[in-house]
Amino acid sequence: MFHQTPTRSIVLVFALVALALYAIYGGYFAREIVVEIAILAILAISIDVVAGFGGMVSLCHGAIMGVSAYTYGILTAKLGYPALPSAVAAIGAAAVFGTVVGWITARTTGIYFIMATLAFGQMAYTVIFKSRWLGGDDGMGGLPRFDFDWAGIAMNKSLPFALYALLLVLLCYVAAAWVMRSAFGRTLCGIHSNEPRMRAIGVSTIIHRARAMGFSGLLAGVAGIIAGQHIQYISPELLFWTVSGEALIVVILGGLGTLIGPMIGAIAFVLLKHELSGYTDHWHIVVGLVLIATVLAGGRGLYGQIEHWMTRRKARGAAQNA
Amino acid sequence: MDAGFWVLQFLNALQYSMLLFLLSIGLTVIFGLLHFVNLAHGALYMMGAYLGISAAALTGSYWGAFILAPLGVTAIGALLYFTLIDRLRGAGPMNQVLVTFGLIFVFLDIARLGWGDIALGLDAPAGLSGTSNLLGVSYPTYRLFIIGLGAVVMAVLWLVLARTQIGAMIRASVENGDMAAAMGINVGRLFFAVFCVGCALAGLAGVVAAPVFSATTGMGISILIPTLIVVVIGGLGSLQGAIAGSLIVGLIETVGAAFLPSFAAVASYLLLAAILVLRPQGLIPARGT
Repeated sequence: MFHQTPTRSIVLVFALVALALYAIYGGYFAREIVVEIAILAILAISIDVVAGFGGMVSLCHGAIMGVSAYTYGILTAKLGYPALPSAVAAIGAAAVFGTVVGWITARTTGIYFIMATLAFGQMAYTVIFKSRWLGGDDGMGGLPRFDFDWAGIAMNKSLPFALYALLLVLLCYVAAAWVMRSAFGRTLCGIHSNEPRMRAIGVSTIIHRARAMGFSGLLAGVAGIIAGQHIQYISPELLFWTVSGEALIVVILGGLGTLIGPMIGAIAFVLLKHELSGYTDHWHIVVGLVLIATVLAGGRGLYGQIEHWMTRRKARGAAQNA
Repeated sequence: MDAGFWVLQFLNALQYSMLLFLLSIGLTVIFGLLHFVNLAHGALYMMGAYLGISAAALTGSYWGAFILAPLGVTAIGALLYFTLIDRLRGAGPMNQVLVTFGLIFVFLDIARLGWGDIALGLDAPAGLSGTSNLLGVSYPTYRLFIIGLGAVVMAVLWLVLARTQIGAMIRASVENGDMAAAMGINVGRLFFAVFCVGCALAGLAGVVAAPVFSATTGMGISILIPTLIVVVIGGLGSLQGAIAGSLIVGLIETVGAAFLPSFAAVASYLLLAAILVLRPQGLIPARGT
């Protein structure tokens, strides 16, 4: 079950402020990294919602993100609709896609769910990859950013865009935390830990699973909008299953089922990637080994491990006082 | 489109199906016995191709590679078994998927470190490098060799599983591992042996594929998804399922691609999704229910 503990709030604020300062005082490259972190963080949070709380390990979240990015691209670059309503529609499309996949796959669990989400994600990837109208493997360019010139904010500059991405991370985190704290989030955890019992007390597990995928898809859709606006170009690679796999790695590295962990994981992952690629061409092997070590160490992840130590210390302190 | 075109397409499909079969049979039996999802199976296939190229350079003969590469991959598999896989058997699908996904990354970079980023080729053995006439079309002899090899492996596995005591033990352990252990079968050793055979077949598929597709670092990831589709369509843990699944997927992806290119790419995913939703136990389930 999810609790927004004071520690989590402090870590959230601290991480976001640190990233904002990094964007403000770092140069152009720092801002690019911050945006990259923001996209990955939102995607990881959205996977954590289903995987960490609902036990649904999805390999189609890259595809959901891509559906949002492509819908945004079609509406703006192809059909010429204004950016803001198009973004809302695109996020909606991602949520609908997530709900539909969630509803169809709701009866499957474990490895079957993983495979089913893989199938639907790869289907979306293949359709876009093969579609000449959508640019196929050449991708699609010319996606606009939002126009906030009337407020004196030049979104085409790197700094305002990086801060806007961070703001969306905050919004997505708050939304996810709020939903996971609600009765719906509690029910989802219940379905994860004992599905027959939840069904016995009258909960429709299928509808809850589908809704969870829908909400998670909505968050992934937000990541898709930032990804589309960032380099103003999208390619089918966004939907490939390894994108979801990589985001899942981020969730595990950070701490599954904590919401804040995936964000920490995204920061660590992107920084590690850029640091390591400065020294060696082979950063994948490091990521792979770190991932294996994390899972073998109990799978709590960076943040989860720290929280685990803290609660153990508190428990030990309480035992000594008693 | 004359008859020759059809024969050609059918042979291509059959050849691809046999490669898929060699890979999926290992994956499916490992799942059936160990309940272990090994995403790194494609990486073992890639290692088979690279080890084969090195072995061929070392021994100066394709047949040296043909023998040594599966053995090398089996050694890698045994190492993985004792370090990771045995430990993760009860750890749930998510941990297994994650660790083996991490292994994909590790093997990807090992291949890049060891053999570089360039696609490497392997020459088909001298006797098989030409073309043969079959049903009025000339077809590369080496590809016919792949088809024949797949058929032989299929027949041997079928005989072993259906007619020998080892096969009966494996079938019993897939059906009910605890019961089999209670009847005195050393299930642990059986698991290890089956895992090694699965790895050897993946390595064999890799070295056999190298002359046709040439070895690249991406080959493991690109073959993984069709292999998983085969395994799930056929039914996890089922030999007959792996045969049926690899033929179906092989036909869809080659013959389908020749006629309906845009549909064929999605078709195998559609089939996978339909099977998972409507018949999750697969077309030919391993367990009689």
